[in-house]
Amino acid sequence: MSKLASSEYYDLVRTTNWTPSYVPESELFPEAMSGARGIPAEAWETFDEPYKVTYSDYVATQREKDAGAYSVKAALERANYIDSADPGWISTLQAHYGALAVAEYAAATAEARMARFSRAPGNRNMATFGMLDEMRHGQIQLFFPHEHTKRSRQWDWAHKAMHTNEWAALAARHMFDDMMFTRDAVSVAIMLTFAFETGFTNMQFLGLAADAAEAGDHTFASLISSIQTDESRHAQQGGPVLKILIANGKKDEAQKMIDIIFWRAWKLFSVLTGPILDYYTPLEHRKQSFKEFMEEWIIGQFERQLNDLGLDLPWYWDEFVRSLDETHHGMHMGVWFWRPTVWWNPAAGVSPEERDWLEEKYPGWNSTFGRCWDVVTENLQKGREDLTLPETLPTICNMCNLPVVGTAGDGWNVKDYQLVHNGRLYHFGSEVDRWCFQQDPERYQGHMNVVDRFLSGEIQPQNLAGALLYMSLNPGEIGVDAHDYAWAGIGKKNQAAE
Amino acid sequence: MSKHTSGDAYRNNRVGPILRAGEVAQAAIQAVEDDNPGKKIHVEDRTAYIRIECEDECILTRASMEEALGRPFQMREIEINLGSFSGQIDTSEERVRFYLAKHI
Repeated sequence: MSKLASSEYYDLVRTTNWTPSYVPESELFPEAMSGARGIPAEAWETFDEPYKVTYSDYVATQREKDAGAYSVKAALERANYIDSADPGWISTLQAHYGALAVAEYAAATAEARMARFSRAPGNRNMATFGMLDEMRHGQIQLFFPHEHTKRSRQWDWAHKAMHTNEWAALAARHMFDDMMFTRDAVSVAIMLTFAFETGFTNMQFLGLAADAAEAGDHTFASLISSIQTDESRHAQQGGPVLKILIANGKKDEAQKMIDIIFWRAWKLFSVLTGPILDYYTPLEHRKQSFKEFMEEWIIGQFERQLNDLGLDLPWYWDEFVRSLDETHHGMHMGVWFWRPTVWWNPAAGVSPEERDWLEEKYPGWNSTFGRCWDVVTENLQKGREDLTLPETLPTICNMCNLPVVGTAGDGWNVKDYQLVHNGRLYHFGSEVDRWCFQQDPERYQGHMNVVDRFLSGEIQPQNLAGALLYMSLNPGEIGVDAHDYAWAGIGKKNQAAE
Repeated sequence: MSKHTSGDAYRNNRVGPILRAGEVAQAAIQAVEDDNPGKKIHVEDRTAYIRIECEDECILTRASMEEALGRPFQMREIEINLGSFSGQIDTSEERVRFYLAKHI
């Protein structure tokens, strides 16, 4: 029996906008879920996915992808790579899994919303595959770290993080909830599949894979790059939706959605991917700096695609480009300083050789961020570890839920951008964070960031111990310096011996 | 800190596949050379992935992949290794086309 070429039946089987007879169309596709924005059904039917796949092809391809990733894992498992890996690399893996594995299920939910509620039949079709993709990503990224739970309790956070009130998990969840759980099908197509997946996930799943391969962690490199092959397909749902919005006079609305989520994604990656690529990954394995990866993937590639589809640069482009030299350095310092409050062991990454690399990649680093690290290093060398540990609260942004940061030392510019809304004072890390909030205050106004919760008395007792309890961080999970301060030329162990 | 010239990095017209390193990526380098005669092909090897790009439009055909691999190849198999791509995409059973709608 000869098989029909998919191009001969694809368009026909995709034609599934039937006329409902039991319920009105407005009940079948409620606006709150579909987000058709008054654009008629015929316009949505012009949705033509550029990256086509049939179910039989999908199953065959996915089976091969999984066979590849699982066989690499099985082949390398006995080599116990993890036992000899640099502690900074272990932290990279633990931060990655905790921030992303369970969140993949949120992405599956978002895809399911498009699969059910999109007015475009082609979108519903592609989103069904996208939903299955995201379930694969959740499962595989919970399975791979599981073998390491015998090594330390921090590995358990691959599963645990998203179920806690740990601050970084809270920040990630605020962003993912905004983008995945609380948006209509059209917004999901634009914000999740287009902006987040065509743009930013490349940083974490291919940029980081380059460092992983350099570090000899072929299991992880194979895993995350395999995940990104799913993303590169299902991310293509955003393009056709954008084209329909623009053709129907909704360009401004599309642009605003991109501008909001681009910034939110940037902030999240500045705390997750930035420190990993520029500080945790062992120096000899760094393929490029975080900024260089951002230039490659986000500016050179994603922004070019946006432009090609007829959108403009985000209004805050200059500020975004400026912050490529700043935000993640500040975030890294904050994470390291508040290290007891994260589920991985932050690597300081500021040994003399690493500082040379930072100065080369970010000219001026030594006279700005480096000066803070001078003080930290000096304190450690004087045996004053206590001065390098948190006793006070940071100011946390009410949009990104991350610390308010800026340039340190000679370039000092740290500023709390404030807004009084309905009698409540909100704090923001930048003009753009405040702008995001102002686009939809009702959506964000009720949220309490972790410092708000601390000050309101929700966290008890009101000290570090109380905060750790609230964040479900138990002994053996609480972050410590990844290299036991060896980078400062001393190390706690050396001191104890003296 | 450094001068901010990186904001212009989007002013390029590069398009093409970004493949996970391996046999298929190596074959695709050859296939892209064959499928885009007269074009300069930029290959960027980043250990885990390889960028294969040329200006404005980049074609990759099933026939050239079979030739380069020396075995049968279905176009859908490219997905197993297609981690990303630059430009817009258009797929069919005989070729994948990466392109930009407008040159800047």
